[in-house]
Amino acid sequence: MLKKIFLPTILAILAYGFWVSPDFKEISAGVAIFLFGMISLEEGFKAFSGGTLEKVLQKSTDRLYKSIGFGFFTTALMQSSSLVSVLTISFLGAGLIGLTQGIGIIYGANIGTTTGAWLMAGFGLKVKISAYAMPMLVFGVILIFQKSKSLKGVGYILAGLGFLFLGIHYMKEGFEAFKETIDLASLAVGGLKGLFIFIGIGILATVIMQSSHATIVLILAALSVGQITYENALALTIGANIGTTITAIIGSLSSNIDGKRLAGAHFIFNAVTAIVAVVFINQIISAVDIISAFLGINGNNHTLKLAVFDTLFKVIGVAMFIPFTDKLVNFLNSAFGSGKTKNGKKIDSVRYLNDSVLELPSTAMAAITRETKHLYENAFEIIAHGLNVKRHNIVSSMPLEEVIQKPYADDAVDIDDFYNRKIKGIYGEIIDFSTKAQSHMEPEDIRELYKLKLANRDIVEAVKDTKHLQKNLVKYSSSANRHIKEQYDTIRRDLVELLRNINIIATTDEEDIIIMLLSKAKLHTKKYDVIANGTLDNLIRKSLITNEMATSLMNDSAYAYDISKNLIAMAGILFIDNDSDTKAIREDMLISDEDVDTILKKG
Amino acid sequence: MGVKNFINSVKESLGLDDFKKAGKKKSVRKLLKKLNEREEKILESLRKKPGKKEKKELKEELEIISLQIKKGKEILEKLNSRSD
Repeated sequence: MLKKIFLPTILAILAYGFWVSPDFKEISAGVAIFLFGMISLEEGFKAFSGGTLEKVLQKSTDRLYKSIGFGFFTTALMQSSSLVSVLTISFLGAGLIGLTQGIGIIYGANIGTTTGAWLMAGFGLKVKISAYAMPMLVFGVILIFQKSKSLKGVGYILAGLGFLFLGIHYMKEGFEAFKETIDLASLAVGGLKGLFIFIGIGILATVIMQSSHATIVLILAALSVGQITYENALALTIGANIGTTITAIIGSLSSNIDGKRLAGAHFIFNAVTAIVAVVFINQIISAVDIISAFLGINGNNHTLKLAVFDTLFKVIGVAMFIPFTDKLVNFLNSAFGSGKTKNGKKIDSVRYLNDSVLELPSTAMAAITRETKHLYENAFEIIAHGLNVKRHNIVSSMPLEEVIQKPYADDAVDIDDFYNRKIKGIYGEIIDFSTKAQSHMEPEDIRELYKLKLANRDIVEAVKDTKHLQKNLVKYSSSANRHIKEQYDTIRRDLVELLRNINIIATTDEEDIIIMLLSKAKLHTKKYDVIANGTLDNLIRKSLITNEMATSLMNDSAYAYDISKNLIAMAGILFIDNDSDTKAIREDMLISDEDVDTILKKG
Repeated sequence: MGVKNFINSVKESLGLDDFKKAGKKKSVRKLLKKLNEREEKILESLRKKPGKKEKKELKEELEIISLQIKKGKEILEKLNSRSD
């Protein structure tokens, strides 16, 4: 509702402003061009985020200090903390980095964004930067029309910078003329009241423009022509720092839980820093004077002093927050828990899929792989409980015979309920996300994605088969007929062995162990198939089991065979390192069906 | 010259294809070394006269590993013959 009223109101106010004041029109056009430049710049950097950028990001953010440095340099380079925030949310969403690293990047981006104020204060207001804008725009637009993706990217970056410079130029011109008509300084109220009024204006301006960078540039332009006082500018800067979090909050609305946590961290960090700046404003102003004098900045050069203030209060904020980063992460993890429930039980949802990574093929692929592993974790729980064994016993070194003697529950668990809460939704989202991601991928990536989709299908099929298997498994595992009980215990033991081996495959880096276990699993699946190895015939012939038992065993043996086959196929796709050279030879190294037959014949 | 041709000629002149193949060969060799070591260990365990069940398991692993070593050698041979 609010959204519906907000836009028309803003448009109406702007239209009225343009009608009343041509200078206001020029300033607004400057802001619009500046923002357009940022969009173009974002577009340009996206063109280079095909895979290398992701790898660099992963390596440069594995420690908190590294992620702060990364946030600083990338923001300084791209001159857009919002682009860095959006990319961070997407990488976090894809599970490529953790929340701590994400917060580190936000810290760094906050300091990095101050370089914009330095550039503008020290360079932009003294040189006629529109002179640089024109050639950049011309070269940029020519390159945008080229077919090559890289040239296009360079074109967008050049055009983006051109628009940024042109926007600054118009803002400056507008304020020069504006000075003659309205004096913003006359609106200023002294003391604490004035401080809060201008903080409010700073928040509002940033919320409307969705860019603290644009607000700071606007503040500097207004300050340079004396439209606002130095104190007003400080308050506006503090306000801009709070307002900028709204962009991330709006951006996180469509992202997953981690994106929301990061936006929460962004808001807490900026709001607390702003409060500290307000409380200690006089001390910070004195510190700015001392630092400015040390740097040789003239006492009357308020624009450069504002850049010093901007940097100082943000550095103080980061220094203040670093020791509490872990506490902040814990708080956010508990404050933003996944919410949906069904009949009082938690419904699991996707953890890594996030629309913001759709356009980055390798990140999207990494997100799908991680989500499929998440799906398998849930399937592992369901299959284990369906077999009536405890998960921690499966992954322990407990002998298999002992694992199956320690039941999970006295009665059969409701697999349908598990399926609906922990598989169905996630599986649907993975398939939907994969279809969307596919449109941005090269044929080679699409082939990989197809395999991942197959792995997902294998997991779901294995869970469904477990449901069918469970019915008789519960019944015959406690049967008075020891022969049928033995057979069902064998099915349970073999599947538990397979789950244990898949757990080893998932956690080891040793390729020889992986291919040995996968080959062994393949062999055992066929070896222990009661129909193929003649066990069933033997039991029927000797009348050791009833006809009803024989039919059940035959069907359930087929289910167990399918579960094994599906899980082995899934493990072969999901748990082999995608980057390893061995992946290419993996399929050739695994034993084939013919090899299995040969070994069985020998045995 | 089209972009694809240009990339191919650069790859050829820098020997990048060979580089990829060399990486693959190195991986196979590494894997073969590990498999051989494992085979040796299994044979060692078999020589120590294990129990019936363990012996059965070890023999099964030996069968698998022998097949894998054979396959690995074939892959390596193929890679070597292509680079000649």
